[in-house]
Amino acid sequence: MTAPNSAERKACWGARDDLWKCLDEHKDQTGPCENFQKQFEASCPAQWVKYFAKRRDFLKYKDKMQTEGFTPAEGPKQKS
Amino acid sequence: VVLHTPSPLSYSFKSAVPRPTGPAHFIHRCFLTTGPKPGAKSAKLQLRTRLAVTLVFGAGLMGVWWYVYSEKQQMAQRQRIEQLKKVALGQGNFCLTDHTGRRRNKRDFLGEWVLLYFGFTHCPDICPEELEKLSAVVAALDKDPALPRVQPLFVTVDPVRDDVAAVGKYVKDFHPRLIGLTGTEEEVKEAGRDYRVYASAGPKDEDGDYIVDHTILIYLVNPDGLFLDYYNRMKSEEQISESIRNHMKSVLSCV
Repeated sequence: MTAPNSAERKACWGARDDLWKCLDEHKDQTGPCENFQKQFEASCPAQWVKYFAKRRDFLKYKDKMQTEGFTPAEGPKQKS
Repeated sequence: VVLHTPSPLSYSFKSAVPRPTGPAHFIHRCFLTTGPKPGAKSAKLQLRTRLAVTLVFGAGLMGVWWYVYSEKQQMAQRQRIEQLKKVALGQGNFCLTDHTGRRRNKRDFLGEWVLLYFGFTHCPDICPEELEKLSAVVAALDKDPALPRVQPLFVTVDPVRDDVAAVGKYVKDFHPRLIGLTGTEEEVKEAGRDYRVYASAGPKDEDGDYIVDHTILIYLVNPDGLFLDYYNRMKSEEQISESIRNHMKSVLSCV
């Protein structure tokens, strides 16, 4: 299996960006973005589809950490 | 009970001291200092010489400071080179095959500034982005004729799939001078180990495709083959170019 070339990579990234934009607009509801999802899967290798799904979760988590900050979980209460 | 308080007697003694009848003395002195000066011209001359002496002295002081400062800088530079030589990074001599099928080792690139990046051709987004950034940096530095040429290198961390042909096809997408390097699994591992590159292939899916998790740093190697600096993903094209420029300048000033 050969790696995607420059044009194929760009097509995949374009489809990914369209899908992500759609998901952002619809608050992560997959229903309205079904066509984008199909286009994304058609444009990218299966392994990349999985990778980008994880990547989006990570980027969103990172964004949340940066905007809302990190609230540490309450640990076991210490005897005072 | 005896209280120790100043006795009224001592008070009366103090106040009894006669005040100095000074004003007359003061006036006399004042007249002495503000009187017409006989050597006004020589005083002016003295001021000029004093100014000159101050300037010469100040310039000398600054000169000494500058000398000490530059010595210190050079000393720091030498110390840094010594430290870098001791760092166990990029000390080995990789032996790989380039994208045209030629055998290449690290010594072939001595005398050139090298930007080194490890990746794989099936890489979804990070490697192409980093290689594009690296290409842009090389192109930006190429524009300055005063600077020495930088040789960009791409080393695969996935030799099983990235043979000479695959790497040859891949490097065409980036800077025209980019050299792609591959080899046997052992050779590639050896090259990566030398730069403390972590690489680990992920699980394979139905069609045998997989993603390799790996270190995504760009390494700067000087013409002596000495590792000088590294750049992570947060560094922009401009920041990297500026850093390389400074490294090149500091080497030039050392000579």
